[in-house]
Amino acid sequence: MAVLAPEVRSAAPRWLIRHETLLAAILVVALAILGLFNERFLTIDNLLNQGRLMTEVGLLALPMTFIIITGGIDLSVGSIVGLCAIMLGYSWKNLGFPLPLAIAFAIGVGGVAGFVNGLLITRVRVPPLIMTIATLALYRGLAEGISQARSVRNYPEWFFFTGQGEWLGVPVQLWILLVGIIVAGIALDRTTFGRTLYAIGNNETAARFSGLPVDRAKLVVYTLSGLAAGLSAWVLVSRVTTTRSDMGSGYELDVIAAVVLGGTSIFGGVGTIWGTVVGLVMIQLLKNGLALTGVKGDATIMVIGAVLIVSTLIASSLHGRREVAG
Amino acid sequence: MSAIVVSRLRPGEGGALRLFASQEALLAFAIIGIAILVGFYNPRFLATRNLADIVLGNAYISVAAIGMSMVIVSGNIDISVGSLIGVLATISGSLAVAGVPIILVWLTPLVVGILVMMLQGAVIAYLRIPAIVVTLGMLSILKGGLISVTGGRWITDLPQSFHLADIELFGILPMPVLIMVAATILAALWMRYSASGRAIYATGGNAEAARLCGVSPQRTVVMVFALHGLFAGIAALLFATQLKVIQSTVPPNLELTVITAAVVGGVSILGGIGTVVGSTLAAVLIAEIASALVFINVSPYWIHAVQGALILVTVVADILRRRRRQVGG
Amino acid sequence: MKQSMKHRMVKTAALVILGVAMAGGSAVAADKWDGGDDLPTSPLACDAGPAAAAAAKPYDGGQTTGAPNKAGKPITLVDVPKLIGIGYFNATSKGMRDAAKEIGNVKVTTDGPTEAKIDEQIKFIDNYITRGVDGILFAANDPVAIAPVLKKALSKGIHVVGYDANSQPDARQWFVNQAQFNGIAKAMVDAMAKEAGEDKGFAIVTSTFTTPNQARWIAEMSTYAAKCHPKLKWLETVEAQEDNVLSFNQATTLINKYGDKLSGLFGMTSVATPASAEAVTKAGQCGKLAVVGLATPNAMKPYVNGGCVKSVVLWNPVDLGYAATHVIRAVVDGKLKPGATSVDAGKLGKLNVINGSEILLGSPFIFTKDNIKDFDF
Repeated sequence: MAVLAPEVRSAAPRWLIRHETLLAAILVVALAILGLFNERFLTIDNLLNQGRLMTEVGLLALPMTFIIITGGIDLSVGSIVGLCAIMLGYSWKNLGFPLPLAIAFAIGVGGVAGFVNGLLITRVRVPPLIMTIATLALYRGLAEGISQARSVRNYPEWFFFTGQGEWLGVPVQLWILLVGIIVAGIALDRTTFGRTLYAIGNNETAARFSGLPVDRAKLVVYTLSGLAAGLSAWVLVSRVTTTRSDMGSGYELDVIAAVVLGGTSIFGGVGTIWGTVVGLVMIQLLKNGLALTGVKGDATIMVIGAVLIVSTLIASSLHGRREVAG
Repeated sequence: MSAIVVSRLRPGEGGALRLFASQEALLAFAIIGIAILVGFYNPRFLATRNLADIVLGNAYISVAAIGMSMVIVSGNIDISVGSLIGVLATISGSLAVAGVPIILVWLTPLVVGILVMMLQGAVIAYLRIPAIVVTLGMLSILKGGLISVTGGRWITDLPQSFHLADIELFGILPMPVLIMVAATILAALWMRYSASGRAIYATGGNAEAARLCGVSPQRTVVMVFALHGLFAGIAALLFATQLKVIQSTVPPNLELTVITAAVVGGVSILGGIGTVVGSTLAAVLIAEIASALVFINVSPYWIHAVQGALILVTVVADILRRRRRQVGG
Repeated sequence: MKQSMKHRMVKTAALVILGVAMAGGSAVAADKWDGGDDLPTSPLACDAGPAAAAAAKPYDGGQTTGAPNKAGKPITLVDVPKLIGIGYFNATSKGMRDAAKEIGNVKVTTDGPTEAKIDEQIKFIDNYITRGVDGILFAANDPVAIAPVLKKALSKGIHVVGYDANSQPDARQWFVNQAQFNGIAKAMVDAMAKEAGEDKGFAIVTSTFTTPNQARWIAEMSTYAAKCHPKLKWLETVEAQEDNVLSFNQATTLINKYGDKLSGLFGMTSVATPASAEAVTKAGQCGKLAVVGLATPNAMKPYVNGGCVKSVVLWNPVDLGYAATHVIRAVVDGKLKPGATSVDAGKLGKLNVINGSEILLGSPFIFTKDNIKDFDF
């Protein structure tokens, strides 16, 4: 994108902390208001349930934060989820893998899919937007072709633990998400890897000339995105007890909305995992709260769209950042 | 990314002409080549009816891709166009059923399209919100709004005069083709030879340099989106007037197809390069491939995979070609 | 020039890959049109007789836990169809509202996803469970995937009744079936054989290969045709999602591809059928190419009145929604219990229980030129 001499940003500047805090404050206010309207909204039961439902998108949002920080994007995540879901079922039923192996295989397929994205993005220099639009179609097509539109069902009981079970009262997949958040947060904030990502997003050429392993870092984040999609697919299949080739379709927009809402700039160089989490929670609880209050599906979609634009507007004016149009 | 900006070719230069020509030539070659290949397998593919149907049924995508190309050349993107077309089609149909004069029925979607897109353009240019965020938000607002307002009722009972797409000028030239070709030629000429047209390339290539040359990037972006809205309105008309029923829902994946047409047509997502002739040809190619796959009996389960692979191959080939040119040129 | 040579190489490679893919793809091309869901089929008898009553199956529906007794009291229901925004579910919703008004102490809202996605539908149902409704009416996008959330509803004392598209039996109490799969298959194939000819070729335009109802109908159609109209030749099945323009383009492609070999088109959804009829009209094949399908009357009026389409097979979706509402009211009032053989459904009279926990609306309804003007949905 055409930007002249962007300021070099450190990993966690002051104003960024302000953006997340402001967003968190908006979130708290919104929750309080919605909670007033419906007493079932702010119950532990409901909140934990929402945590369960937002895991699939949440797992994808973590590496997406990395990717967007580097100035890239990955629109194929939804299709990779579908492909991994199909591979899970296919390898178990048609190839005869034992189920645990099938799960690992499916996640591995996700990693490969992400790796292919990263490879063509770094070696051939295909712009991420184009590359992932193409793989969005390709991976979805592979899922449809391999599955021949057949679902795989009748999994053993233990398989449903991941998607429907609880451990210490908290849904299992939520634990997985929490672990993911912590690991991702530490990686981004405290490791060289994380700092490399910010550097790439700020000024890729300068990062390259500074000797940072730019291509390797990019390859890693796209592969991580694929792996996260595989993990997400496992949780999804476990939750709904079947596989379908249309699983995950549309996820990419939900994920990007959460990441962008959380303060990560689409231009790169800026963003935190904490922000993504707040964005994720905000969208999920907003949808839930509105539905509980009696707002119908179509109106809820409109509200989310408006919230996205308005929050970015607020955040953007706070920064007073010098961005050139386009 | 920034290092490449310097060596990018500007439109109007000899080298650039060759660059543009080769992508369009490649597409034209592909269109003809595929037609011949499939024709061997099933001669019915080459029947005039079939070829005409391919173009007529998808002319609206070409028109929408014109506007999208301009947006992408200017360095932005728009994913709300599919929802907008759904909304404009519904507005047009509702007015027709309500007995509004046909001219107004056809003009209103154009005006609404321009206004909605201009709004987005202004937010992007002046409020500095990234295009993907604004158009993502607008997509949701339009989609939800459409269902809210219409309750999902289909529009039937359209008056006969509504069907713009069925009109054949002088008895032989179908309107959709006429509009598609005319819009492409006009837009291509305008972008190449008019100052405001070239301002789009400038803004997309290097906005700061453009500003220093006296081009206002903000005004250019708003103008580009306004034009995009106009083309979206025309596309919506072609889309709506084809059939006797208007589904008041958003056509699935339309924005993706339009973006694909623009990108496969040679418009670079980095901004600053591409022509609308390419995107029109690409839209025709995509439609042709969809039909060809049915004709040659590709198992329906694999159709999307083949389409995706095709996009990938085209894009990789295009990138490789560009890199060659930059390194060698 | 070096560039164009490399670029030509890439282009050649691409075409070769494409060629291989297509050749490979055609090798994999489905040469049977069995709908693909691997479930057993049970074709009806070939003659025009009523279906022999199947042996009564024991009740196999699910049960609520701890449902409050609301017999005779006002109840709120939510209807979560496959998607909102298509004529068919607008019609079922209307039927529900009519029934609610008639019964008097029922309030029903229709809410659902804007696309036919099971994941979205699950979230809608989940929210209504949290909100606390008395009953859920649903038409499932996927019979297995929807089961966990429906069972959750049952466990919270919420009544669950399905219509149009079933779930696993133990995830709901009752399912109002518009018509038996094999009954619809028989009606469609018989109509096609009559209108197109016994030994002609036909093609199918469906939504997607993974939509359960459509897959079942196609499966039943294939076994019934093999049994009773063996000379009918299946040519191809294409997908068109639930999109009007895509359905039109696909139907047009089929017409162009097969030319005279194609004598009939089946439209498997209320979107595919009018679009196919339009394609036939635009191609000037009205009267030469039969269109048989499932559709709502309003969308088909121009074609039926114009003589392009002779019969539209459906059931009355307004009646379907109406019946479903009466059924759930009867369940709440304790008038419909497991093991019952029939239920009272207002102006529809007594409806029979079949297959253990399904309630049959009746036989498929055929809209023709004579009666289509009487309907407005």
